[in-house]
Amino acid sequence: MSITTGNILEVRGLTARYGEVTALRSADLDLKEGELIAVLGPNGAGKSTLMRSIVGLTSASGDVRFRGELLPRNAAAVAARGIALVPEGRGIFGPMSVEENLQLGAYMINGRGEDYERRLSRVLTLFPRLKERLSQAAGSMSGGEQQMLAVGRALMADPKLLLLDEPSLGLAPKVTAEILETLAELNRSGLSVLLVEQKAPLALKIASRAYVVVNGRISTEIDTKEITSHDQLARYYFQ
Amino acid sequence: MKAASFIALALATTALAAPAMAQETFKVGVSVGLTGYAAAVDRAWRDGLEVAADYVNSKGGVRGRKIQLVIEDNKSEPQEAVTVYRKMISSDKVNIFISGCVSAGNFAAAQFVVRAQIPMMLCSILPPQPDQVKWAYSFLAPPRFEVEKRFAYLKDKTPIRKVGVLHDPSPYANLQKDLAVKAAPDYGIELPVVEQYKQDDADFSTQISKMESAGAKAVLKIGLGGSTVTTAKNIKQLGLNTLLLGSVDDLAVFKPTGETLGNQFLFVAAPAQVYETLPEGALKQEIARFLPLWRAKHGDRDAVWAGKAWDALMVTVAAIDKAQSFDGEAIRAAVETLPPYQGTGGIYSFSPTVHQGITTNPFFMATYENGKVMVKN
Amino acid sequence: MTNSPATISSKLMAALRHAPAIAAAGMVAYAIADGGYIVTVVGFGLIYTIFVAGLNIFMGYAGQTSFGQNAFAAIGAYASAVLTATYGWPPLLAALAGIVATAICAFVIGYPTLRLKGHYLAMATLAIGLIIYEVAVQWQSVTNGYMGISGIPALGIGHYELLSDRAQLIFLAIMAVLSLAASWLLRHSRFGRALVALSGSEDAARALGINVRQYKLTAFIISAIYASISGTLFVHIVGFISPEMIGMNMVILAFTMLYVGGIGTTTGPLIGAIVIGLLPESIRSFKDYQDLVYGAALILILIYAPGGIASLDQVVKKLLRTKAPAKEVAP
Ligand SMILES: Nc1ncnc2c1ncn2[C@@H]1O[C@H](COP(=O)(O)OP(=O)(O)O)[C@@H](O)[C@H]1O
Ligand SMILES: [Mg+2]
Repeated sequence: MSITTGNILEVRGLTARYGEVTALRSADLDLKEGELIAVLGPNGAGKSTLMRSIVGLTSASGDVRFRGELLPRNAAAVAARGIALVPEGRGIFGPMSVEENLQLGAYMINGRGEDYERRLSRVLTLFPRLKERLSQAAGSMSGGEQQMLAVGRALMADPKLLLLDEPSLGLAPKVTAEILETLAELNRSGLSVLLVEQKAPLALKIASRAYVVVNGRISTEIDTKEITSHDQLARYYFQ
Repeated sequence: MKAASFIALALATTALAAPAMAQETFKVGVSVGLTGYAAAVDRAWRDGLEVAADYVNSKGGVRGRKIQLVIEDNKSEPQEAVTVYRKMISSDKVNIFISGCVSAGNFAAAQFVVRAQIPMMLCSILPPQPDQVKWAYSFLAPPRFEVEKRFAYLKDKTPIRKVGVLHDPSPYANLQKDLAVKAAPDYGIELPVVEQYKQDDADFSTQISKMESAGAKAVLKIGLGGSTVTTAKNIKQLGLNTLLLGSVDDLAVFKPTGETLGNQFLFVAAPAQVYETLPEGALKQEIARFLPLWRAKHGDRDAVWAGKAWDALMVTVAAIDKAQSFDGEAIRAAVETLPPYQGTGGIYSFSPTVHQGITTNPFFMATYENGKVMVKN
Repeated sequence: MTNSPATISSKLMAALRHAPAIAAAGMVAYAIADGGYIVTVVGFGLIYTIFVAGLNIFMGYAGQTSFGQNAFAAIGAYASAVLTATYGWPPLLAALAGIVATAICAFVIGYPTLRLKGHYLAMATLAIGLIIYEVAVQWQSVTNGYMGISGIPALGIGHYELLSDRAQLIFLAIMAVLSLAASWLLRHSRFGRALVALSGSEDAARALGINVRQYKLTAFIISAIYASISGTLFVHIVGFISPEMIGMNMVILAFTMLYVGGIGTTTGPLIGAIVIGLLPESIRSFKDYQDLVYGAALILILIYAPGGIASLDQVVKKLLRTKAPAKEVAP
């Protein structure tokens, strides 16, 4: 066990291609235990590709280490290590009930038993609105509720590391703020979080550091305390 | 319960829709493929039965009862045949079956028909199980007759001793093919090439060329329909003097084939197809009873299968008259002890051991030249 | 008034939700009581219920497409037919042999083809159905080609044979209920949830730790086993099998039943099989127009109940919802 670095996640030289297009070029990234960091960047920059490559949904070359150990390149096996992804567009199973979605989140422990009940009550405390809708079809809920379900489902796996790909997509500012506040709370209670966002100001409020991805490259690492104005941020994007 | 009552209602309506018969009738169940691959033959079978039933009814019916045909379309599918047979057994309570040429359909339903003790007169070959054969009677000529007629013609009238076989994959064609292979040596004939085709193939040039280069001077064509015309066209295009020998089929097929190849095309003709050239006698007389009625209703449509259906009903009527009963078992026994019956398709002599009634070769070899069927033997 | 209108209507809705399945079960009961030829029609309906329930696991739950299920029905049917009629095996043993052969075949076929997606998978399965049909036609020494195999004994164990129509129908009803119960249990298990998940999004399912390929293959094999069992039942009821009985028309019929009944629902296969089985019979008096009326009925069902008859309650709900505001306007 080499927790010597104190990093829960280390990405080195991660490169991903879609045919001729190189969507991610030799990305390096570190995430410390208990940290919440953001990945920023314009549309099409390669943020989603980075997340998908980390969890093994997109085939990529390079190393990804989780608590010092190399991660397999197979999404199901990565999930088994305790890494949960809230995918872009939520990935909710619309025809299934909210409860079934949550059960699937706890797929690794078969969605029942004491452990399951403990996780469920934790998620329902975090998102009380889901409690009233347990038997409702997930697809019939509002966008905000679906995003809560997506986060709740990921938490059902009791992950060590939570990855979120643009959770604010298509949501009202108020709902986004609510969800990001919940993430901050989770982080304060010790969960390591990697958050991809286009809406940088929102993300920077809760993140301790941020990486900026442009054209498939991680171009900059920012300390959020340095950022004081919107203009400053724009410089990082377009330098 | 809405759906259930809807369906129940629909079923009830169907039952009511059937005309209430004041007088008791003799019910003939007819399972035919009015749609699907058997449609051409089975529609003719049904139409022939209708002509025959009208004729018998105009003469007062059979033993005082009118004949009522219960016709059901089995869509040329065996499973559908089982359904319609069972409908006719338990809902219509038919007295006898006179069914079409969907062999697999007749086989699939046979065990149910036998259990209900209803005789079945068939346009198809007989079911393979002995206990089922007991109740089934085939009005089809044995397939070997078609083959033997052609071999005999080659042997007696031509110097040709090498023949190519071209057949489709249907059970009947396969059976004939096997018979041809077995019988050829008896006629001093060699079969250097035996080729199978699919009914919807559009060109047989390769097969024909292969036969030609193997020295075969005649093609024994086994299989119904347009493929015979195609074969003729291919022979003509290749400029060969190969003889084309067609199996029993509809005049609608023989005409264009004859128009393509002239006297290079010979076919196995059923008696009704050469009616005009038949000598006076029992055969001609029986066809003369049927053909005018048929032509009055259907013009110059081919009468071969319709004639066989006529025969099937006439044999049934004769059996009822002999049995003096409408009981299935009695009719069955009577069919087997009937004296040889002259039909339009040949002489039917059924017995307890022979359930394929035609025992002497009823066929002719003929050509279609100058708009006319010409008998060649 | 103790019941508010809301609870009455919600009770009604709950009842309505099960109405189609209860009605279908009612038809089966009616057939058992009636004993006429409706026994045959409903019997085929029950055999198809099993076939379609299997297809539903692969298509409705797992969201994949197979046009080749007839291949597996054919393997079950011919294994039973050949082993009992030609070699005199007891039916149960022959059925088991058929199931094993089917499972092996589904594995061998599914392993490479399930990597294909969408249309490619559908085309590959279509080819399998056509190949097995061709084998049934050409392998004459075993299958007897188009002539088919007859003399297949009735179902039975030891000296006890299911001979009467009613006994057979009751047996088929039990088999159909067991199949649907197994399908329900499967759907509400971890495995079933995983299938529905991967049908929604394979990536999302993978990210939850679901082994997508393995589950698709397992669903394919299970659906093939359902098909095999239905093939076995079919040959023992009819006593005869020929290639035409396991052709593409079987697939078309099953698809119709699946969509009319309600794809993805547990009872949909039963509802679809009974309705589609009985529909032609209830319109038999239309004779030449039978096909036309049949087609029109199908179109109407699919327009007004696009989720299938099993989810008819959704349609009613929607209708009530659109009418509801009008009531509120009234003083
Ligand atoms: N499945 C795919 N096939 C081909 N190209 C893709 C695919 N997914 C993403 N891309 C391309 O890769 C680049 C990065 O995409 P993505 O990672 O989705 O960016 P972001 O999430 O930052 O918006 C874009 O140019 C996009 O068009
Ligand atoms: Mg993205």
